[in-house]
Amino acid sequence: MLQLVLFNLTNGLIVGAFYVLMALGLSLIINLSNVVNFAHGNFLAIGGYIAYTLTPYLGFWGALLVSPFLTAIFGFAIEKLMIRHVYARNHIYSLLLTFGLGFILQDACRYIWGPSPLPLGIPDVLSLPLTPDLFFVTWYRVFMVVVVVVAVGGLFALLRYTRVGMRIRAGTLDLDTVSALGVNVAALRSYNFAVGSFLAGLAGVLAAGQIGLNPNMGDDLIMPSFIAIIVGGVGSLTGTLLGGLLIGVAAALTTVFYPAGAEAVIYIIMAIVLLVRPRGLLGEEGMLT
Amino acid sequence: MSTAMTTGRAPGTRAYLQLGIIWALLLTVPAWLPMLGGYTAIAGRVLVFALAAMSFNMLLGFTGVMSFGHAAYFGLGAYGAGLTLKYVAASTPLAILAGTLLGGIAGTLFGLLLVRRRGVYFAMVTIAFGQVCFYIAYKWDSFTGGYDGLRGFLRAPIDLGFTKIDIAGNETLFYFFVLLVFGLAVGLQALILASPFGRTLLAIRENERRARFLGLPVERHIWLSFSISCFFTALAGTLYALLNNFADPLGLNYVMSGNIVMITVMGGMRTFWGPLVGAVLFVMLQDYVSSMTTNWMFFVGTVFVAVVLFFPRGLMGMLQKRSGA
Amino acid sequence: MSDEAPKLEARNVSKNFGNLKAVSGVSMRVGHGELRAIIGPNGAGKTTFFNLITGFFPPSSGEIRLDGHDISRVPAAARVKMGMGRTFQITEIFPELTVRENTRIAVETGLGFSLRAWLNAADRKRVADASEEVMTMANLTSKADRLVGELSHGDQRSAEIAMALALKPSLLLLDEPTAGMGDEETYQVTGLIRRLHRDSKYTIVLIEHDMRVVFHLADRISVLAEGKLLAEGTPEEISANEHVQNAYLGKAE
Repeated sequence: MLQLVLFNLTNGLIVGAFYVLMALGLSLIINLSNVVNFAHGNFLAIGGYIAYTLTPYLGFWGALLVSPFLTAIFGFAIEKLMIRHVYARNHIYSLLLTFGLGFILQDACRYIWGPSPLPLGIPDVLSLPLTPDLFFVTWYRVFMVVVVVVAVGGLFALLRYTRVGMRIRAGTLDLDTVSALGVNVAALRSYNFAVGSFLAGLAGVLAAGQIGLNPNMGDDLIMPSFIAIIVGGVGSLTGTLLGGLLIGVAAALTTVFYPAGAEAVIYIIMAIVLLVRPRGLLGEEGMLT
Repeated sequence: MSTAMTTGRAPGTRAYLQLGIIWALLLTVPAWLPMLGGYTAIAGRVLVFALAAMSFNMLLGFTGVMSFGHAAYFGLGAYGAGLTLKYVAASTPLAILAGTLLGGIAGTLFGLLLVRRRGVYFAMVTIAFGQVCFYIAYKWDSFTGGYDGLRGFLRAPIDLGFTKIDIAGNETLFYFFVLLVFGLAVGLQALILASPFGRTLLAIRENERRARFLGLPVERHIWLSFSISCFFTALAGTLYALLNNFADPLGLNYVMSGNIVMITVMGGMRTFWGPLVGAVLFVMLQDYVSSMTTNWMFFVGTVFVAVVLFFPRGLMGMLQKRSGA
Repeated sequence: MSDEAPKLEARNVSKNFGNLKAVSGVSMRVGHGELRAIIGPNGAGKTTFFNLITGFFPPSSGEIRLDGHDISRVPAAARVKMGMGRTFQITEIFPELTVRENTRIAVETGLGFSLRAWLNAADRKRVADASEEVMTMANLTSKADRLVGELSHGDQRSAEIAMALALKPSLLLLDEPTAGMGDEETYQVTGLIRRLHRDSKYTIVLIEHDMRVVFHLADRISVLAEGKLLAEGTPEEISANEHVQNAYLGKAE
């Protein structure tokens, strides 16, 4: 029983970490560009597939380092090519555009890498269990959590201490003023989109190491990521972080006691938050349009 | 008609002509579709998707609010109808009524939680609610058939007392039955949109702040619009279940919501009949393209992205603009 | 009692945003049928004061009275029903609808028809007549079936005023009605406001930057500066007031 509880808890932690990575990327883009990137799950898949292609040449470690950057560059290009053209229009169009983009990217992955699941090889050290007693907790699981913590810490440091980061934060609060101060908002949004894509790409590599690759691997993660953002409150990255962890752990705990309700609990949390605190845990009123 | 509704101009000859052509084509489907290599069931599917999309468009095109979770109400309608036929009674009208009420009431209740949200937030919450329904249908094996969907029910002939209409066995009769329901539903929608209430929806779409300062309770009107839209979408869902004698959990999934959105936008979201045109296009793409290539998502996605980027008014909107409507 | 009360009264009204005192301790009485102009340099708190009157947000302290009744906590939509009509600095209209539709929606809302799915012939005629009436007042009958978004700036402003009139207000609040307009359009809108004032059915309060418009139209002028009421009086008194000249008119070009 204890083992089962531990297993589900570590699982929940890892799943929550993925929600956080995905949701933070989505949240960044929503905050600065008012775009809900429906294709975010496909960016995750692309990150994983790129790593798959690179592994024979660079090994797992090289792929882990390079793939997120390539995903970021890809996101940057997509933003320049397509998404920026709808910023001036009603937000509805960006939803539509990224939804269609998701279709295209998913089928492109299927075309390039094939429809059947592919494994991503991870180094042997990482596939060993932590201890013989806890045979189900591999080093890879620990490793994933560590990488996510480092990435999230890095993101918050980037936003707090670098020029681009500070501008992104300022732009989230008041885009007009930032623009009036002479900041190139268009470029800022491109970089921001790239950062969001980077996080999706990173999540993709990590996920591929655990569950393997398939063209719609991002689909299962996108909905909880939305919910993490709604629960945490649109407009607040800390809220997103909190929301992601909360629903991840809640889902894990539910799995222990009532496995069938694991997914439902996420939605129940969302409904409660919307009823009790419609703006989300840390969301600000007036940032919702 | 459509022109009148989107721009507020008095309906002109052209609008009546348009209306005449649309209905002439719809009424004669069984005569001309087989000649083009189609079959009548495909026309039924077009009507069902068109009704779902037109209902959705009351919200998107005529209230200016984006829901990405309309599959939920469509799917609830389908399950409501299927479950009624399977467990309650072999009555098609009862199935339609039950499904429509199930989806409509669910939407009305969800709507209460939604209306204070705006923009991307509104869309995200609608999609999440939609997924709730999907998971329920998916997980509740014993009752809903789970992953395999709900089977084991058949649409029943309609007993009018003096005669029976065999919509169960006769495909053509069933098509006309669907067309009748479709006609009544969109006729009602047209009436609603042309009413003072309908005009308040246009007002909210055009300028929410102005609407508020006219003294309109904007939230209540959006809620009503959402609710009405859900009832009609659920009605479409019941027809879908009757059409296939099957209710599919994927019909509740957000991908289905996306299909409804794509149909509407490709057809033209600012026009009344646009979603019908979109449904024709979509069903054709789905049928013909998917039979030619496995990468039909790529194809549909590309068409859709091109429409969003370059022809945001959709097919119908372009036609009207070109002819100076 | 309410007969003797002024149409609109602000009693020691303040509004703070955090540490910023946007409006502090402003008192003002506007009589029935009066046309009052509020002027002041940018950032003087004019629009904030307007938003307090129309109920965009509540005051931090003080009272706002309409016909003697305290309305400080009454929400914006309810104030509209009490007879407050408003236009905005940036024209707020329904651009992709025709002038007729714009006014019709306003009329129907004003008459409480906004939830109706059906109108009988008598009600339809009432709506059509009322919307015709306000379009005539605003000189827009010839453009009734054109999309408002396609009209000139001046006509759009006129349409916005027509919509406000459609609600049969007794108090009209116009936020910079001639902002961003050329001479001809300013003349057009000024003419409309003067006609409305002549009818004396309306009490009008307007914020305006164009001094020609202000001195031409206003019965009395209130000058705001840094959130406070600096001076109040007839146009003659204001133009002779040294404080105003120093604080405001002197700085104007």
